[in-house]
Parts: sequence; structure tokens; C-alpha cells
Amino acid sequence: MDFAKSDIQAMLLDSADRLLSENADVEYWRHQRGGALGFDEARWARFAELGWLALPVPEAAGGLDGSIEDIALLNIALGKALATEPYVSTVVLADHVLKQAADQLRAMELLGDIAGGTLRIALAHQENGAHPLGVEARGTVARASGDGYVLSGAKIMALDAPSAGQFIISARIEGEEGTGLFLVPADAAGLSIEPYALIDGTRAADLAFADVALPAGALLVGGNRGAAVLREAIDRASIALMAQAVGAMEAANKVCGAYVQERKQFGTAIGSFQAIQHIMADNFIAAHQARSMLYHALANADQDEATRSAALSAARLVIGEAGQVVSRNGIQVHGGYGLTDEYAIGHYFRRLMCIEKQYGDLIQHGERFGDSIFG
Amino acid sequence: MELRLDPDLETFRTQVRAFIDRVLPADMKERQRRKVANNAAVPDLLQWMRILDDHGRAVPHWPEEFGGCGWSPMQLFIFNEELYKADAPEFDWGGTHMLGPVLYTYGSDYLKDKFLPMIREGATMWAQGFSEPGSGSDLASLRTSADLVDGKYIVNGQKIWTSGAAHADWGFFLVRTDKSVKPQRGISFLIIKMDTPGITVRQIPQINGEAHLCEVFLDNVEVPADQLIGEPGMGWTYAKFLLEHERTTSSFIYWSKRELARAKDIARGETMDGRRVADDPAFRARFARAEADLLALEWSVLRVLAHEEFDAPEAAAASVLKIRGSELQQEITMLQVDAMGAKSLRFFDAAPVPPPAPTDVWPDYAPGRTTVALINRAATIYGGSKQIQKNILAKLAFGL
Repeated sequence: MDFAKSDIQAMLLDSADRLLSENADVEYWRHQRGGALGFDEARWARFAELGWLALPVPEAAGGLDGSIEDIALLNIALGKALATEPYVSTVVLADHVLKQAADQLRAMELLGDIAGGTLRIALAHQENGAHPLGVEARGTVARASGDGYVLSGAKIMALDAPSAGQFIISARIEGEEGTGLFLVPADAAGLSIEPYALIDGTRAADLAFADVALPAGALLVGGNRGAAVLREAIDRASIALMAQAVGAMEAANKVCGAYVQERKQFGTAIGSFQAIQHIMADNFIAAHQARSMLYHALANADQDEATRSAALSAARLVIGEAGQVVSRNGIQVHGGYGLTDEYAIGHYFRRLMCIEKQYGDLIQHGERFGDSIFG
Repeated sequence: MELRLDPDLETFRTQVRAFIDRVLPADMKERQRRKVANNAAVPDLLQWMRILDDHGRAVPHWPEEFGGCGWSPMQLFIFNEELYKADAPEFDWGGTHMLGPVLYTYGSDYLKDKFLPMIREGATMWAQGFSEPGSGSDLASLRTSADLVDGKYIVNGQKIWTSGAAHADWGFFLVRTDKSVKPQRGISFLIIKMDTPGITVRQIPQINGEAHLCEVFLDNVEVPADQLIGEPGMGWTYAKFLLEHERTTSSFIYWSKRELARAKDIARGETMDGRRVADDPAFRARFARAEADLLALEWSVLRVLAHEEFDAPEAAAASVLKIRGSELQQEITMLQVDAMGAKSLRFFDAAPVPPPAPTDVWPDYAPGRTTVALINRAATIYGGSKQIQKNILAKLAFGL
């Protein structure tokens, strides 16, 4: 066991520091939020140049073959800077599904496009009323038709969908068991997209499929393996999001630590009051324990599914709660300014709330972890 | 960054398990598992130290020249974890983990030669005389005085919360040897034999029926001057060294892991209309939270043991262990208590060892849980109260 960063990890963090730190402020965030996609495509191209989009891509496809630890460390940096780029959707989630695809030749091509920054892929799996931790598709059906399929149904809250060129869609294949994973272009006939912003400035969309015709090659992963592959991909996305949460918490703590030393009331810095000091101590503890749990999830990332998902849910439980403690307390020590869009803490608060609820929230992960303990 | 456990350590764990299985007497293990109070019976504790010492395992964390095993921090972690899991009696922490490191770091050859073997061999129980009635969290204000007269220190004053003083043969005390300098500079670290004339020990009856904590009155107690450790006036520094040396002990991680497992057994054993307490959604959610928090604490301990690079002082990370460790001890013992509902209210006397034979209604996990939970309110008070710890943490982490 070694917590020291490898040379590659140190380089990664160094490049992240240089690219992200100049644009980690309220002005930048507000500007991006007002744009068409919620992030800067020029910076996405920089991500590609720096190799970040090739991080989990196999060397055979021109990638860096990075580990889940590498991905986590980069995502800590993205979280610190409140980066709104669709990194987790495209580079963590879609990459993992593509690596498991039946047609590896085609998959490597797509991974190459992702690495080059020319293709973004979003997952559309969640359906209205479905359990957020479920990996079965219920209301989306693919019917065999000629050489291909016809897709019908609807998805909600597809994260980062408005900027994606392709979607990975989970669907029940008529007459078969399980869930298949299909690749569907964003401009497919019969596909309608309702894009919207989330409270943190990132984007999502609801998708509706009205008999969308797909070629046979659109089926990336068949019904026999689809649910398992989706579970793995979502678990990896969860780890990356937790890393972003840890980065966001640590950054929020720095912001609050500085604020309570600047802000004066009764003629003295509010950080001199014990009540404020104890809040800040609680925030430090929460962020520290959150990072510890990220390590726990990482250490178990390659274990069998039961062990992995138990560790992941335990981590989501601690990190989800810690994110709320840190950012709610952070707003409290800022007083009224914490509620304005002009102070950073409110941006951290909204981002941490989004992460807490994506791919299963505190309650659902608590239940899943509890079930793993008592059966 | 490599977060998976080194496979060699799993081999080490297997060896440790086999070792404990071989040398821990079955009757001692049984008494320990079923004890009602937190503290082991003194004879078992000392005998266990002798057994460990026979195998060179009594003080594995000490330097090898004084009887240590030369193990890595991770090996020590595994050894301790397995000892607790096996229901072995605890170390006499005062001697092995507090006084010992101060002695071999700062003590004279005379003191090292005399006391280190005594600690290692389990020849004596040790009392820690730090707190005073007027000096709790503000320890530097302590007033017990030691005046050098004709080559002897004459000690006068009063100590309180001295665990196990009634059964201790020796004690290590913080005393004031110089009143003319600022409070921290006038404190010295003194070893005192507990049967020296002028010492009176009063056991304090506790809310859980035990009387483990004591008051120690010192009235013109004569102590040979060569029992002062290191330099006069350096006691505060040594006491701080002692706390920093044991950065991870305050997490109580091994104890809490064992007790959480016991809470799990209780939640499976107790039923309501045929349904296990473990299957009650509210209880399960609370339990899951405690187990997740304990996993976080364990990783935080590992980070300190591995000296993870960190953008706050390392002491901040240690302070987290103390705060969360004490809170979790309390939460875990309360999970045990709450899983038993009103049955947890039955008073069990700590004195008979072992307690009454188990029945279907009163399984052997029942006696002792509430006894421990009651006194565990102390966890967030001793060693610097939680509030003091938060003051320290705010200063270390944010400069407040």
C-alpha cells in the first residue's frame, strides 16, 4: 500500500493544475453556464491534447491505459475546479462500455475518436419511476426488424446528453432476457431530445424513441452481458464522481477557511469565534473521511461484484453526506453571501448536491450497503 | 498510488492468527470475551503479557534493542487487529504504549535498564497521573508540586481519573518542579512507586458500577531524584511526544471493529415478532452508516501510518482520528444497546467473572454492553475533550 503518486500521476496532476487553476472561479463558471453546452469546447480540445481523453483507452487504440487511480486523481482536480466538461460520461462511462463491446474493431475506432476529442458519448439509461440503482431497462424496447432493430421508449436525466454525438441506450430486446446496450447517433430519425440545465450548470436531456431504426451493429453489448457491463460502467462513473466530490469539498474548505479569516464582525475575524472554528473542524473531518472512503472504493474497484458494490455504496454514503456537511456549513459561515451566485461556495454546494444524487443517492446507497451487511 | 494490500501482509496475518490461536489460553479468551466491564482482570492481563514476552511479542512496536519486533506499521496494525479480534486481553497501554516510548527515548540508562524489562515482562501495572481536579483539558495548569530537597523530590498534590491506580504498582506523573517559569516549562515527568508512604488512592464509583478510575492524593511523598525522566522542566515536551508517538491509538480502530461485529451479532440475535432487529430498516440504515464511517476511519488510520503527503499538518490527520474514533466508539456501543431495546436496561455487576451463564433470553452478548456504553461517554472527554480537539483542528488545518 502506497499513497505516493507515480510519475505519470504527478505529471497528470501538474498538467491539471496548470490548465484548470486559471479558470476555477465564479466568473468562469457563470460564463460557461450561459453558453450553449455549459462548457468550453476549446478547453475540451485541450483535454484531448493533454491526453486526458485517452487516459483509460487501451494502448492498442492509442491510449494511455491508465488505472482507475489515475482517473480518480484527475477527477479530484476536475472537482476542485468545478469543471463542467462531460468527462465522466464520455471518458469513464462510455469508454468502459466500448471496451466490453462485441465488435472490438469498431469500438477501438470510437475510442480513438473520443481520445481525439471529436466524439462525445452519453449514457441514457434512467427511466422515470425506475430505481436509480437498477440496471435493467423496462420501458425501452428494441424489436428485431430485418437485419437490425427498431427502438421505442423514453429515457430521462441523461447526463451530458446535449453535447453528445452518440448515445449508449439500455433497452430490453424483445423475445430475449436481459438488457442490451445500443449505440444510437444523436441525429437518428425518430429520436427527440429535450435538453435542460441542471442546478450546477451541467446539462442533461430527456430522450424519446419513436420507432428509431438501428442497424445490427448498433448493439454494442448483448442482453446476456448488458446489465453486468452497465453496472461496472456506472460503478466506475461513481468512483470518478466521488473523486470530483472530494476535490470540490477540499476546495470549498479552502474557500471557507479564507473567508472566515477575512470576514469581520464585532470588530474581529469571525474565524476567531469558537462556534465558527468548530464548524470548520467538522468540515475538515468530513472532507478527510471522504477522501479516505474514496481510497476504500478504489482499493476494491477490481474485486468481485458483491465486494465492489458494497465498498462503493459505503463510500457513496460517507462522501455524499460529507459533501452536504461541507457545503451547507460552508454557506452558513458565509452568511447571506453564501446564497448569492457571486460567491464560490454556492457553486460548490450545487455541484456537490448534483453528485450526491447521480447514480443513486444517499438513501439508496445506504440501503444497498445495509443489505450487503445483513443480507 | 497503490491502494491494494501487499499480498505478503496477508501471509503475515495468517501467521499472526496461528500464533495467537496457539498461545492464547482458551479460558482466558473466554473470560475476556464475556467480561462485563471494559477492563480485563489484572491477573489475566499480566499473565498475557508474560506469555507474549516468552515469544518475543510483548512490545512489538518498540525498537528491537529493547525487545521490539522490527515490524512495519502495517504489520503492527495487523498484529493489533488480530489480537482484538481474538478477544485477547488488552495491553497494559500505560506501560507499553505511553511510558515505554518516553523511557527509551528520553530516559537515563538506569531508568531504561530498570523499567523497560518490567513493562515488557508484565511484572507491573502502571498508572498514569496526568489530570488533576483543576486541570482537565487545560492540563498545563496542573499544580501537583515536586520540590528537590536533599536529592529527593517531595511531591504534594492530587491527581484524578487515574485509571487502575488501585491495582497499579508504579505510576508516571506530571508534576510541577518550577513555579517561576511559564506553565508548560515548569513541568517534569516523574516515576513514582504507588506504595510509597504519603500516597492514598481512592476508587471513584462510576455510573456503570465499576470503580476503575481513581483519585490519587500525594502528601509529602519522597521520590528518588533519579526517577525523573530526562531533564527537569521537559515533562510537557515528553507528554506531547507520547501523544504524537501514539498518533493512531486514539482511533480505537481495533476495538471498534470488534465491537461493531458484536453489534451485528446482537442485531441478528434479537427479534421483534419474529423479525430480526437487523431487518428493521431504520436500524439497518443507522448500522450501515456506522460501518461506513468505521471504514473511513480505518483508511484514515492507514493514511497516517503510511505518512501520506498531505496539504495540512500531519497532526490534523491524527486529530481527526481522535474525534471520529471517540464518536464511533459511542455510536457502536449504542447500536449494541439499542439492538437489545429495553432488555439493555438490566444491570449486570462487573464483579463476577465470568457473568451468569447465558440463557435464551439473556445470551452471552447481553451482560456488559450497557456497562461499557455508559462509561463510553468518557471517550469524547478524556485525552482532550472533543471540543478542545476541534479547537486544535481548526488551528492546525485553517490557522484559526
